[in-house]
Amino acid sequence: MSGRVLFGAPPALADARREAFVAGLRAVLPALVATGTWGLVTGVAMVKVGLSQLEALGMTLLVFAGSAQLAALPLIAADAPVWVVLLTATVVNLRFVIFSAGLYPFFRHYTLGRRLLLGYVTSDVGFAISLQRWTAERAAGPDPDPLAGTRRVWFFLGIAAGNWLSWQTMSILGIFLAGQVPGAWGLEYAAILALIALTVPMVNGLPNVVGALVAGTVAVVGAGLPLKLGLVVAVIVGISAAMATELAQERLVGARRGGP
Amino acid sequence: MSTLDTWLVIVGLTAVTVGTRSFFLVLGDRIPLPERVQHALRYAPACALVALIAPEVLLSKGEMVGSLTDPKLLSAAVAIGCMLVTRSMVVTMAVGMAAFTLLRLL
Repeated sequence: MSGRVLFGAPPALADARREAFVAGLRAVLPALVATGTWGLVTGVAMVKVGLSQLEALGMTLLVFAGSAQLAALPLIAADAPVWVVLLTATVVNLRFVIFSAGLYPFFRHYTLGRRLLLGYVTSDVGFAISLQRWTAERAAGPDPDPLAGTRRVWFFLGIAAGNWLSWQTMSILGIFLAGQVPGAWGLEYAAILALIALTVPMVNGLPNVVGALVAGTVAVVGAGLPLKLGLVVAVIVGISAAMATELAQERLVGARRGGP
Repeated sequence: MSTLDTWLVIVGLTAVTVGTRSFFLVLGDRIPLPERVQHALRYAPACALVALIAPEVLLSKGEMVGSLTDPKLLSAAVAIGCMLVTRSMVVTMAVGMAAFTLLRLL
């Protein structure tokens, strides 16, 4: 079987890995419309801002971070100092620091090199789908399957593979087609619609609804903040609101039972 | 920006990607995360996605959209309703994009 190189030799382990990898690919498939569109837009933007095709290719293949790239481009065009570009990108990427804290309990057993790799391929969508699923699994009780950890990591890799391929393909396409994509297509909005469809099922239960409403409001109000800080503040305030709602709910239930 | 600076930026941005995305994966052993924080992070996915989406839908060049019949706002509402009813991403994308295109042309 040709999958041996990728999934390893012991059949039980290889089967578990392959199943989880394919499940990850399937889970991310609907979101790839958004990823691909965003990649195309970024590819076009890199060339329009004045990067050579080689520089744009280097950037997409190495940096692999849409929002950070899009935030860096106006600064590159304005000939800003290198450290300003890097600082801006770091702030735009701060949400990934929060995501890495969420993923830590699941990936902590791996070697340093593997943790760096798993971090590198983390995406907004990949984090959201994975943590949503694993939190539900945890809530259902301890998993007796000794391969549960392996399944998780390969599920994550399946998502990352689909994400990477669609991002890079469309981004490279964008780099070469930069001159010919009409802005009138409204392509950017297809990406937003895909994100909406992805998000709706995740906003379940009162704490999530409150958190989402608060995060959305703060993000809109804070959109004028420099360095995309509004996004980071919105996530933190949103999570706090969700937690507060959860606590209030618990108190209410406790009070009804006549407890303290 | 010079070619050298551009490549410095590209290499630096790569380091930023790896550094932020693997921050707690690498340092989590040394910076212990309280149980409460880990618990709170369950709410991070929905909050992060909504915080990404809301400004794109509600703002136009930094200003709140002027009317409730704005193509972006209305097609987003259609998409949310469609997703709640059908639970299908493909249907939602198709209906949402059709609504967006139609509203822009009207």
